[in-house]
Amino acid sequence: MAAGVVTVLQIYGMAGLAVAAVFLAWGIDRVDQNARGAFVFRPLLIPGVALLWPLVLWRWGALERGRDPWAGRYRPPRRLQDWLGIGLAAAIPVILFGALLIRQEGPLERPAELLEPPPAAEGEADR
Amino acid sequence: MSVLYTPVQWNRNKFLYDGVLLAGVVAYILVFLQVAPLFVDATRPVDGAILRMRAFGTCAFLMLTLILCIGPLARLDRRFLPLLYNRRHFGVLTCVVAATHALQVLGWYYAFSPTPRLEALLSANTSFGQVLGFPFEVFGIFALLVLTLMAVTSHDFWLSFLTAPVWKALHLLVYPAYAAVVAHMALGYLQDAKNPAFALLAGGGALTVAGLHLAARRRDRAARGAADWVTVGRPAEIADGRARIVSLGGDERVAVFRYDGRLSAVSNACAHQNGPLGEGRIVDGCITCPWHGFQYRPADGCSPAPFTERIPTYRLKLDGDTVLVHRTANPPGTPVEPLAIP
Ligand code: FES
Repeated sequence: MAAGVVTVLQIYGMAGLAVAAVFLAWGIDRVDQNARGAFVFRPLLIPGVALLWPLVLWRWGALERGRDPWAGRYRPPRRLQDWLGIGLAAAIPVILFGALLIRQEGPLERPAELLEPPPAAEGEADR
Repeated sequence: MSVLYTPVQWNRNKFLYDGVLLAGVVAYILVFLQVAPLFVDATRPVDGAILRMRAFGTCAFLMLTLILCIGPLARLDRRFLPLLYNRRHFGVLTCVVAATHALQVLGWYYAFSPTPRLEALLSANTSFGQVLGFPFEVFGIFALLVLTLMAVTSHDFWLSFLTAPVWKALHLLVYPAYAAVVAHMALGYLQDAKNPAFALLAGGGALTVAGLHLAARRRDRAARGAADWVTVGRPAEIADGRARIVSLGGDERVAVFRYDGRLSAVSNACAHQNGPLGEGRIVDGCITCPWHGFQYRPADGCSPAPFTERIPTYRLKLDGDTVLVHRTANPPGTPVEPLAIP
């Protein structure tokens, strides 16, 4: 199982490197005018392209076909951020207190049982 | 402004900021390595490798906590804004610290494993069906993955290439990632820590993040009407050369600038990195972004030649002595006759 996961990751990464090579050598000049003539920063983008290459291909395609609704660029999802903030605020206490509850010495653990001492042997009782 | 991309746009402030950050990290690690051994349970000694692992792990947690506090703090009090501007370097450094933690874990616990280390980590504990003893590593892996994604997409290019909504959505993953880090610690280290100091620190930090977010949200919840024309206020309420920011509901904000006895409205989001233009001022007749100084003419939202940036503009009208703004944006760079203040 784990070996399979690692193999899939490796294949994904190789594909990413291939996309990075093509995109950074050629595609980027076509879709971003600020990149034309700027080369030093490109190696910095390699890890990003390698990780996100499906997204890169999708955006590249959209830009090539000129389908880039202008208004969307000015609407970062602030609503979502609000909700995530609230979700986080709610989740943190639950996680922390939940984890403390299940701790080995936490309140939910069965109290330790006091075992009877073994019956004292004859003759030792009055020691 | 519309400059060619460079690897990092350094300036004096950034050097200072990064210097302080780096010094902070180094100091924290050194102090932790000195102080933590004094507190460990004598019956369960830990060695140097485990200490280092914990030093980097807790350091990354604290850094992430600070990062998440900066946003709401800046919304609550503008004096925190300078911390916000260079948050990206903070994020990248956090990712490096977290990765160091992960590498040490790999190098230590799986150093003698017969299978490759990553594989060993993934298969060491697969009891996903239970809470106690749940493989808490997966939370850490998820968080590290998110931090890495954010770090590798932190260059300006990504924001413009992916567009603000996609880029922002990607970076909002930091919220689930933080929850995952809290779970990673809560199910990992805290389960067996004897000393409450770190539990308190972690709990305190996490609860501060939660509290600040709630406070900032309460503060921000202004009434959001639905009419076509949205009230801005009286012209006199806007200082000369400055703007008032008006929320149009949803995610859209407008900056209404007053200058030379006139008013103009543009999108509040800078074309560079969505900096809050409405917090900037008019310099040499141009709206100047407070973050990195991109400039736009107030009347048409275009950067002065030779630059080519454009932002959307909005129509304004007067109703008595109240200024109203139309909620539908004009395409970027559309000229709008400025409203003369009577
Ligand atoms: S966000 Fe960078 S200049 Fe406006």
